[in-house]
Amino acid sequence: MGYTPFVMFPAYAEYPKDCLFEGQDPNEKILLLLRAHPITNLSWILASIIVFFVPFLVPRVMLFLGFDLGVLPQTFQLILLIINYLLVLIIVYEGFLYWYFNVTLVTNEKVVDIDFAQLLYKGVDLAPLTKIEETDSVIAGIVGTIFNFGNVKIQTAGATVAIEMKNIPKPSLVADLILDLAGKPHEHILGVPKV
Amino acid sequence: MEVTSNNFLNSSYVLMFGKGAILLILIFYAIFSLIIIRQVDLMSKTLITKLSPVVRAFAILHAGFAIGLIILTWGIL
Repeated sequence: MGYTPFVMFPAYAEYPKDCLFEGQDPNEKILLLLRAHPITNLSWILASIIVFFVPFLVPRVMLFLGFDLGVLPQTFQLILLIINYLLVLIIVYEGFLYWYFNVTLVTNEKVVDIDFAQLLYKGVDLAPLTKIEETDSVIAGIVGTIFNFGNVKIQTAGATVAIEMKNIPKPSLVADLILDLAGKPHEHILGVPKV
Repeated sequence: MEVTSNNFLNSSYVLMFGKGAILLILIFYAIFSLIIIRQVDLMSKTLITKLSPVVRAFAILHAGFAIGLIILTWGIL
């Protein structure tokens, strides 16, 4: 396996084990599993760290403004503390869920883009390998260049809808692999180059 | 009697209002946690991995905790 910054939760996995998707055909094999680069999780990790420290900061700020929160009954303080840490929990849990389940799968038959953009929204884009005409990859920005992640766009024949994978690791390699597969969809890409 | 910020925060009206506000927040949170169960169910049916049962169990536990917290808050505040 190539790129595995988080061994348990890889963002780039060739021939992923113990992984299936809804609507997978009996002979269909997943060749590549792609998620957003782990560094893109930094926004919700930072948000959760800030909320984690709110109970330490707010009493001081309120005291500065003339309100001593220490006079509140202990039970109120306890419940407010629990609510705060529930908020931390939900930021972490939701952040992880969106990252973990927003995947793009490349199988020996098609490209499957699973997108959960918001609560109770599910979008699945399918592109048969035989219909793929063009792939584009873009790496932009300082963070993208440092960590080698970016977007890959897949154009299919005669379709107005294109599949776009966002912030995936090694976008140039992925774009090249998909285009190679489009030419020979039923051959497994055992020669996926290791980086 | 001089009204200071401290006895203002401790007055029964403010505490009653606080209890109502906290309960309302917790009720919304419990509804949200039930929606998360449905969301996780949808997600783990779409992408089936070893982790799917774990995240589903966590969502159910979380919702149970959120509902339990409403009862606890109602009782102790």
